[in-house]
Amino acid sequence: MTTNTYLIKEGYDNLNKHGSKTVSTMLIICATMLILGIFIIILQNVNKNVETLRLEQGLQAFIEDKATDEDIAYMEDEIRLIDGVSQIEYMTKAEAYEDAKSQFKDQEYFLDGLENLDIFPASFIVKFTNIEEAERITAEVEKIDGIYKVKYNADTIEAVISISKVANYFLLGVGIVLLVVSVFIISNTIKLAVYSNKREIFIMRYIGATNSFIVKPFIVEGAIMGIVSALISFIVISIVYIYIYSAMNSSFALGVFKFIPYSTIWYQILIAYVALGLFIGIFGSGISLKKYLKV
Amino acid sequence: MIEFVNVVKKYDHGVCAMDNVNLRIDKGEFVFLVGPSGSGKSTFLKLMIKEEEPTSGKILIDGKDITRLKKKEIPFLRRKIGFVFQDFRLLYDRTVEENIVFALRIIEASEKEIKTQLKTVLQMVGLTGKEKYYPNQLSGGEQQRVALARALATKPPILIADEPTGNLDPKTADEIFKTLLEINARGTTILVVTHAKDIVNELNKRVVALDHGKVVKDDARGVY
Repeated sequence: MTTNTYLIKEGYDNLNKHGSKTVSTMLIICATMLILGIFIIILQNVNKNVETLRLEQGLQAFIEDKATDEDIAYMEDEIRLIDGVSQIEYMTKAEAYEDAKSQFKDQEYFLDGLENLDIFPASFIVKFTNIEEAERITAEVEKIDGIYKVKYNADTIEAVISISKVANYFLLGVGIVLLVVSVFIISNTIKLAVYSNKREIFIMRYIGATNSFIVKPFIVEGAIMGIVSALISFIVISIVYIYIYSAMNSSFALGVFKFIPYSTIWYQILIAYVALGLFIGIFGSGISLKKYLKV
Repeated sequence: MIEFVNVVKKYDHGVCAMDNVNLRIDKGEFVFLVGPSGSGKSTFLKLMIKEEEPTSGKILIDGKDITRLKKKEIPFLRRKIGFVFQDFRLLYDRTVEENIVFALRIIEASEKEIKTQLKTVLQMVGLTGKEKYYPNQLSGGEQQRVALARALATKPPILIADEPTGNLDPKTADEIFKTLLEINARGTTILVVTHAKDIVNELNKRVVALDHGKVVKDDARGVY
């Protein structure tokens, strides 16, 4: 057995020795990690949906009926020249009718007989490279001859963006609080472990143990608690998410909101949890060792 | 081997525990350090293992001034000095073997060394066959032997025994001293702090007496 293997084993034995304390610590860490995980997942979903919304959003510029094909081509060129326009699509009157039909879905009969009335104007669907530029682009499009109206859903988009910003800050705040709580809990457990191993540490010092030899088992103990808590939390949150995903995505309760498939985020969550677990474990035990072992 | 040169140790509360102590102990010597409580014996030992710093003076171990040692060098100084306590300081949740191996792990001995040293020290202290016993299953004398074995496992050139027989009956105490003499005969320098007057007088070894932090007696073949 190499020295490092021995120290890892000592760390593991410490966990067993402080059994009930270890379990209660890990349960609390799991609880904080689960709360954190839920927030991260909610935020990831919100951000993803906002991002989709950002990309999908654009303006619709309605073309005057009298516009000729040359006018339309000119307008299209003018729009294309505007800085910040990523995509431009021309929608004919017929396509506008089809689009309206698709929006009515089961109540298509509302539109019966309207196809020949020429009431749906042709338009350009313009998408932006950056949604923050939407207002400027809208203003520039409005100035083009032959465009009589521009539709841009500014309020909804801005509301969604600000909600997502608030959610991000909120998560950051919650994350910091939970991180501090977790570090404190692990550090407290390691403090107790240091106290219960006081005799051993005293003997070790007299025999000539280096500081790293003394602290490694405690670091291992903290790291194992962190990683095991991370893995338990990962399993629990995976099961819960997969269940919610299948239940909610098959219902229309959430409207346009779509949950991200778990297959695209599980590894991010796993990596984040393990990294977090290791950080909490090592940092938490480090604090106690510095304070109580004076290393 | 061990040399105190003009060593003064004053504690913050004003007590002078070492008052200009000059003392030299050569390699292979067996020395009794005696004196009443508060005479400075414990401070002497603590200074040797750098648990305390002298206010002034030099302390040489193996020719090296340990007052100049860096913090990270202290463990390596302590590996040169085996320590035996009055209350044994054993790990009661570990067997005899595990207590001894514990010391060898600390100095990062190889598996082969661990095996060889374990066998050697168990033989040296007469505990062969009791490897799997827990300290609580042993007598006081045997527990002190385990402590001795643990201290010797790392092959320190110096062995300090602080009241090694303070908790033992006279017969067991005699046996412990017999073992200490055998260890000394193999070349280990031994410094024993004791109040065991009879044994000190009987063994006729060098006796250094401290009182109020001063060396008041240093006889090559002394009595208590």
